[in-house]
Amino acid sequence: MNEYIRVCDIEKYYGNGSNVTKAVDRVSFNVEEGEFVGVMGASGSGKTTLLNMLATIDRVTAGHIYYGDTDITELSEDKLSEFRKNNLGFVFQDYNLLDTLTIEENIILALTIRGGSRKTIQKQSNQMLHLLGLEDIRSQFPYQVSGGQKQRCACARALVNHPKLLLADEPTGALDSKSAQILLETFTELNQTMRATILMVTHDAFSASYCSRILFLKDGKIFHELVKGRKKRREFLQEILDVLSLTGGELSNV
Amino acid sequence: MYSKLAFRNVMRSAKDYLVYMFTMAVVTALMYAFSSLFFDKEFTGLFEIAQMMQMMTGMATFFIVLIVAWLINYMVRFMLEKRSSEFGIYMLLGMKKKAIARLYMRENVLLGIFAFLAGVPAGILLQQVLMAVLGNMVHVEYRFHPTLNKYTFLVTLLFYAGCYLLALFRCKRKFKKMNIHDLMDAKRQNEEIKESNEGIKRLLFPVSIAVIVAIWTVFPGLSSVGAACIFLIALVLVIYLFYIGLSAWVMCYIRKKKKGIYRGQNLFLLRQFSSKVRTMQFTMGTLTALFTIALMGSSVAMMFSDYENKVLDTKWPFDVLIYSSDAEDEFQDDLEILNKDVEIADSYIYRIYTNQTNQANVWMYTHLQAFGNMYLDSDGRPNMKKIEKALKTDGTYCTYDTYMGLSDYNYLRKMLGYKEITLTDRQYAIQIKARLSSETDEMPEGLEVTDAGGNEELTCAGIYTEPFSQDGHNGGDYILIVPDSVIQTMKPYYSEMAVDLKGKAPAGLMKKLDDLVPEEEQDFAGHADLSLEGNSCSGSDNMVSYNATNLVRDNVIPEVKYMLASLIVPAFYMGLVFLCAALTVLSVQQLSDSAKYKFRYDVLAKIGLERSEINYLIARQLTAYYLCPALFAMIISGSVMIRVSRIFIMATGVHTSVLQYFGISVLLFFGIYMIYFMATYVGFKRNIEGKK
Repeated sequence: MNEYIRVCDIEKYYGNGSNVTKAVDRVSFNVEEGEFVGVMGASGSGKTTLLNMLATIDRVTAGHIYYGDTDITELSEDKLSEFRKNNLGFVFQDYNLLDTLTIEENIILALTIRGGSRKTIQKQSNQMLHLLGLEDIRSQFPYQVSGGQKQRCACARALVNHPKLLLADEPTGALDSKSAQILLETFTELNQTMRATILMVTHDAFSASYCSRILFLKDGKIFHELVKGRKKRREFLQEILDVLSLTGGELSNV
Repeated sequence: MYSKLAFRNVMRSAKDYLVYMFTMAVVTALMYAFSSLFFDKEFTGLFEIAQMMQMMTGMATFFIVLIVAWLINYMVRFMLEKRSSEFGIYMLLGMKKKAIARLYMRENVLLGIFAFLAGVPAGILLQQVLMAVLGNMVHVEYRFHPTLNKYTFLVTLLFYAGCYLLALFRCKRKFKKMNIHDLMDAKRQNEEIKESNEGIKRLLFPVSIAVIVAIWTVFPGLSSVGAACIFLIALVLVIYLFYIGLSAWVMCYIRKKKKGIYRGQNLFLLRQFSSKVRTMQFTMGTLTALFTIALMGSSVAMMFSDYENKVLDTKWPFDVLIYSSDAEDEFQDDLEILNKDVEIADSYIYRIYTNQTNQANVWMYTHLQAFGNMYLDSDGRPNMKKIEKALKTDGTYCTYDTYMGLSDYNYLRKMLGYKEITLTDRQYAIQIKARLSSETDEMPEGLEVTDAGGNEELTCAGIYTEPFSQDGHNGGDYILIVPDSVIQTMKPYYSEMAVDLKGKAPAGLMKKLDDLVPEEEQDFAGHADLSLEGNSCSGSDNMVSYNATNLVRDNVIPEVKYMLASLIVPAFYMGLVFLCAALTVLSVQQLSDSAKYKFRYDVLAKIGLERSEINYLIARQLTAYYLCPALFAMIISGSVMIRVSRIFIMATGVHTSVLQYFGISVLLFFGIYMIYFMATYVGFKRNIEGKK
């Protein structure tokens, strides 16, 4: 078993004294290379906190996170941003595109920050634009394109540097159902063709059904795990919904 | 309830707009200090020209009120825009527009009052400093006694309130037109970047630079008022067009995917810069104009203060020097006054002579740089008709050349403590202003001075350049020294009396001498002027000329210094206020946008920029943004001021490099600039890092 990313017993507390909230409570799991993992949970279940710690944006209170042999909980601030630059890609609910840059420039910037010759940068960005079907809107500004297009641009920017892990925080949260479907299909395709490892946080069962494995989080703890295996997506969705209804149905957002 | 809300909002705005508050307090302090000149009794009594200081300060104040009103208006509109969603919520809660408008006005007035109250004590101190500087300038001892002068306070309040009235005048209308949706949406509106016709607009960039170069080459040739006006209008237009061109040029550069954008964070910086310049092109133009005026104002102030320090002390070498157009005057009345008021160490009455030719005058008109080609024909020969007309009317030189006998000359040299000179019967000498010495090496070749018999030509034994009071007293610019035997063949032209005093001359001595002339013949400052006709002249100094019949050094120097101060002080005043106003706009713009920038820098951090890289990026962004209008203003004002300094140096004979005045101004400018820049940088970084 290829243990690509290992999350060992991590905890995250907020507050102090008698007023401590355990946002993440002793969570452990592994992610293999090329996996498409979903994390589901109600709001307040700690899924975004978990993602932020994996994304090195937030620090753990206890426990370790290993990317290969690197323990990111031990890295210094500067090493962390270096690590982020070389290993991680991000897709957020609110796109986080730079509004002063065009779609294409948003992708180019991610490349120029890492350095490289003009030719390779142009080549890579063109490839990415083609792969995500953004060629027609390459010179448009974010405010001129639809939410789905913006999110695909964010994906392109996240993947252009071939990160070890793509972290997606509610990527479909602000999209209409059609755009959401296109985006999720893109994710699946990227996962299969580019062997991109994806960790997606969502509270939407439909989105989660595209994943190959789902971790269910409640009150900061993993309480269930589902693996898609060879099942059809429809069956898998039904399974997810069953799990959700077990927990009281408060996640029924289908 | 509303006043409580207003008060709380003010406390919050004060923190956000600290730079603005600071500037308003500085403006109040400056206004207070300079307004005190209107009521100052220390100096007004000393000179009859004191109104000049008040007039000039008044004029400066007028422009300052306009600019400060612009600043307040800008800030009011700016804060309104930034807080529009807040006002939208008030309206949503059911507050009436009128009530919101009143609330907002109340907040602004409160903000103004805070700044005013902070500024007045600073103003009282500043006023003392100003008075001490002025006192030092005019040799009057000034005692330090900070007090609140109620008239000054009232006038400052008046100006300050005037600024606010002007600024808030149109603001209510803005509220009337608003609706909730627009208010809540206002923030999103200015995010959009519209690109259109960049290709054409881009051309404005090289065009505006070309126009500046053209102005640079044409400027010295400007002589008429009309041409100067066209020059100014072109300059203002160019300043505004430059920014449209610049932003379009950068955008095209990015769009064409030139090499530069593939390096590091350049792409981000360039986009950031061009979109900011784009949305603020008009403001940027105004800021550039303000910087230009500030730099020019302070350069002019530098010029005159340098002149004051270097030239004035040599301009009047004699303690007292009195002119009389009567060639046989024995100066009885003047001596009577002098004997009564002062102790005379030595007095000497002498005549200036003429042989009724004007070869030296013609030589001066045709060879000095100051006159250029004005008195030359197209073939390079002297235009005698023009020169003769000038000699009769313009008063630069007397109608005929001026001569002095050797013994008179040596006596005067002895009085001034210079070494006496010797001349043989076959020699003459030239005494000339030091300022002209570099231009007059060849003067002897152009002159034919003959001996007593009128047969033999004399040779020039030397050109002397010691200070010798040559603004119409011992000749205008020059005087020819000939042996006594030659002078006896000439006609007395006018009379002079030089007096050496024991101790200092009392204040007002010159006025007593001037009062010998009937009042209707005195000038606005109560002086008896040289008539500048026939046998009286002023010389070619034209920046600061002082053509009075009676010169009492200890009275003249403070008076002229005070007169110059009335140019220097308002020029500095205006420069300072303009600079502060412009810098405030720059820094508030950046600081209040930092919420927007915070998001952008957060994104950059997420895609892998290190903290140190981000800090560097912020510094680069702010520097580009701050330097752009400053550099542009420096180029414009520099090109003008270097030329003006050259003319100034030529006209006054101050020995300095042309770059000095402008250079010192730029240094001063950047000193203040750095204060604002650092404040902005620190605030900006705190805003971006702080609220994580």
